[in-house]
Amino acid sequence: MPSLFVIRGSDQGTRYELEEAILRLGRDKSSTIHIHDTEVSRNHAELRRTHRDYTVSDLNSSNGTFVNGKRIEQHVLVSGDQVQVGATLMLYTGPADDSSGGIGSSIDVAAAPLSDDQSRIIHSVTQQEGSRIFDSQVDLPQNSFLARARSNLQVMYRTALAVSHTLDIDQLLNRIMELIFEWVEADRGCIMLFDANNRKLEPRVRRTRQESDRGDRISISKTILDFVLERNEGVLTSDARQDDRFNPGASIVKLGVREAICVPMQGRYHVVGAIYIDTSISPQEVLERGGQSCKFTEDHLKLMIAIGHQAALAVEDTRYYSAMVQAERLAAIGQTIATLSHHIKNILQGIRGGSYLIEMGLTEHDESIVAKGWNIVEKNQNKISELVLDMLTFSKEREPDLMTADINSVVAEVVELMQARAAELNVELRLVPDATMPKLVFDPEGIHRALLNVVTNGIDAVAETERPGSVEICTRYLPERSLVQIEVRDTGAGIPADHMDKLFSPFVSTKKNRGTGLGLPVSQKILSEHGGQIGVQSTPGEGACFTFELPAVAPPQSSTQIIEPPAG
Amino acid sequence: MDSRPSVLIVDACEENREVLRTALEHRGMRTLATGKAKSGLELAREHHPDLIVLDLEVEATNDAELAAPFAEQSRTDRSPLVLLGTVRRRPPHPEGEFIAKPYHYGPLLRRIEELLDTV
Repeated sequence: MPSLFVIRGSDQGTRYELEEAILRLGRDKSSTIHIHDTEVSRNHAELRRTHRDYTVSDLNSSNGTFVNGKRIEQHVLVSGDQVQVGATLMLYTGPADDSSGGIGSSIDVAAAPLSDDQSRIIHSVTQQEGSRIFDSQVDLPQNSFLARARSNLQVMYRTALAVSHTLDIDQLLNRIMELIFEWVEADRGCIMLFDANNRKLEPRVRRTRQESDRGDRISISKTILDFVLERNEGVLTSDARQDDRFNPGASIVKLGVREAICVPMQGRYHVVGAIYIDTSISPQEVLERGGQSCKFTEDHLKLMIAIGHQAALAVEDTRYYSAMVQAERLAAIGQTIATLSHHIKNILQGIRGGSYLIEMGLTEHDESIVAKGWNIVEKNQNKISELVLDMLTFSKEREPDLMTADINSVVAEVVELMQARAAELNVELRLVPDATMPKLVFDPEGIHRALLNVVTNGIDAVAETERPGSVEICTRYLPERSLVQIEVRDTGAGIPADHMDKLFSPFVSTKKNRGTGLGLPVSQKILSEHGGQIGVQSTPGEGACFTFELPAVAPPQSSTQIIEPPAG
Repeated sequence: MDSRPSVLIVDACEENREVLRTALEHRGMRTLATGKAKSGLELAREHHPDLIVLDLEVEATNDAELAAPFAEQSRTDRSPLVLLGTVRRRPPHPEGEFIAKPYHYGPLLRRIEELLDTV
């Protein structure tokens, strides 16, 4: 599938797969390709599918759209093009040749020599020699050597560029095949990789120059392939027989000549696969070349070995990288499950305790024990619903449910809700509301949840110290900055410096038995949904102060009219 | 001197303490309870309870370290020690009776009664 890969800018590393026929690119949230770059216009450019590739058109953006460094109005993209919008640079990769399955069926590795295959190895070049493509060669005229060296260098440079910008192996191999085809007159080519599990060679990319050759099966002699993989050497083969070469009456003139290059893909540690290309030379061409049937030269072979090496390194890199990402992901899932199951286990323990008391009370006909048990069951029921709500808030990409409301009354609700718990733990809970606070637009339920988590933490922190202490919540309206602040200041033990950076990481709790590790991440998520943030300050031993900052959005004028329609 | 057997409960969770206290007292025992390891140890040294129930998650330290002074106290007093904890982190304490969380109260209480009967 064609794609744009961001190689520079705030979305660096993101790959956008181009699926739709028409895509909009811009800073606007509704864009198909949403770029987080302030230098990009809201509707910056459009991508429209034309045949197999995409055409990019600038939509009168303020900073323009550039392809390969040139400002464009409209441009048909080809693989390898670099598209720049604002400070964001993206690499375009076109659709793969024969990308969808069935590659395996069109490539044969022939164990027995094919009846019509007279191929034999003409040259073989070792890995070491292959990397010496830029060595000076005295027997060549300077200029031609330099020109060739320059072109080789360019191929290598472009290969290096191609392999450094993708983490998708198939896309990478396609790109390499494409480069090889640009540079050498091959008719057909394929790249085979060893399967990581069963060490079997699997064809991964196949490419033909002519549309008409698409249906052709590529037959690769197993003898040659084994030679390449076992000896770790690249080979150049031709089915032209030496003695037939200058004899116009011989079979080559009738059938043409097939030449092939097959090189190992030698990585840092293993041979990861092989690259094969071949070409047919028609009888006419053979005659035109005066019997010189060679399209592929030793130089081609050497450069192919170098490309094979480069591609193998990239394949290895990509595989190790994915393995690492996978391992990290598993570790994170493990951590998540451990924290969650611990929390759920404690809730279960509470419910078992409550149920036990209810049962006991019923047997003994003691209503006070039933009431005690019921109270515990109910508390744990609340814990489950809190946990589920936090998990939902955290996992979903959601829009805040914006409405006109009063910050002070939301904060007062939270204080009222927590008053009993604070008193139970001997913590003083104070509210200092800003009397000038106007009615504003925000998600009252979200802010309630965000604040509740932080206030609960504050009360727990004070209770933990076993000293008398307090949690003070104050609100501030700062019209000059069009900002609202809600500050929660506790006199707990404070936050150790080494905990500060993990404070908002999900499923990391420092409260051994009570924490889900979701409270602060959820609060932070809600605030950032509002375009706000949470600040933390703490002096270990003296307490902590969490400050919510959210933009003060005034309610629209019309809404007041709807709420209060003119009388009469 | 009160002849009723006494049980010390050391568990950070207030609900768990509440349930155990209610159930044990109903069965004719005296209880002492605390949510901290440190004060639990002080209570044990001062009151010499007939049995100690220690939740290993009472503090964030490692289980063996946490249980060691309690185990010593239980040896001195010849009183059984019941450890509540997760199976995964079972501590190497042969003297403690280990019960995995989440436990059921019926079997836990029966076990406490059995242990007290043999004292």
